[in-house]
Amino acid sequence: MNPILYFWIFLKASLFSTGGSGNLPSIHADLLARGWASDGEFGEALTIGQLSPGPSGLWVISLGYLTDGLRGSLLALLAILLPPMLILGVERLYRRIQHHPAVEGFVRGLGLAVVGVFVVAMFGILQSAGISPRTMTIAAGAVGLALTRRVPVIGIVALAGLSSVLWR
Amino acid sequence: MEPPHQPTLAKILRVWSLLGAQSFGGGSATLTLIRRAVVEEQGWVSAEEFARFWALVQLAPGINLLALTILIGRKTGGALGIAVSLFGLLFPSVTITILLTAGFARVAHASLTQEALSGIVPAVVGLGLVTVWQIAKPPLVQSRAEGKDSVFLALLLIVGSMAAAWRQHVPVVLILMSAAVLGAAWSWRRSARGARS
Repeated sequence: MNPILYFWIFLKASLFSTGGSGNLPSIHADLLARGWASDGEFGEALTIGQLSPGPSGLWVISLGYLTDGLRGSLLALLAILLPPMLILGVERLYRRIQHHPAVEGFVRGLGLAVVGVFVVAMFGILQSAGISPRTMTIAAGAVGLALTRRVPVIGIVALAGLSSVLWR
Repeated sequence: MEPPHQPTLAKILRVWSLLGAQSFGGGSATLTLIRRAVVEEQGWVSAEEFARFWALVQLAPGINLLALTILIGRKTGGALGIAVSLFGLLFPSVTITILLTAGFARVAHASLTQEALSGIVPAVVGLGLVTVWQIAKPPLVQSRAEGKDSVFLALLLIVGSMAAAWRQHVPVVLILMSAAVLGAAWSWRRSARGARS
């Protein structure tokens, strides 16, 4: 396995996508085509990505480890670390033109659309867990607890896992 | 809360390491935690600034939360602040991810793990919805201050982007760009009218 090509596959996918799993289709196609990864490894990496803390894109670290050991996970880490650095350029551009009347509306429109897309994505994730009285109750309970701002997020997540095991 | 808008590097490292270690449950749970820590607890960025940062990071490639961390890190400590914040956020979570992959993968298939996950996912969705509401508030408040037609446009952009994102027929980048261009045209026209009257 050529480490530079391996790194480029991860970097290219992250450079031309947004979000934590937007790079998945591209990496999936490239690694499978070369026989460097299997579908099973992808499933395993995604599950571990769900279980581990931090931003949602860390599943590639897990995939890197499964396919190329520690070296693979470090190459994957570097590949997801570089593209977000471009935000510094975006922000500089924003600062230069922020007083143009159109810019404020541009950022506001963008923010509102993100809200809409986010809600749809959340609904899709909820569907993957199945929509039932049990899942809806847990979701509503999490909303209630989060609104109090007194319960740490990890507490809410732990409580949800526990009540899910107890309420079958 | 009060004055320290330039916290020490040790403080930055401590806050971000805690975020990286405890934010189980995917990106939206992490976003909830970051917002709570940097806006509500530390006061490093205001609610409006956080909302603006979050809108801007949609324009950068890759993981949005990393771009967000970069912006907040630079605000609190320049280039070193960026490095320390990223290191703090990623060191615990990357280490845990590698350890989980190396040793814990078998447990992921156990029925008890699956059972717990099926409850954690809806909770994470609930947390995400609370966070998205907090992010939606500043632009909505601003629109309300401008008048009814701005509120109408804001709601139209939210509902319209939901409809467009439904079933994933339209690429997300296209949805975001269209809404941004509409918003830009609207505010440009508003200011042009304001200048004339």
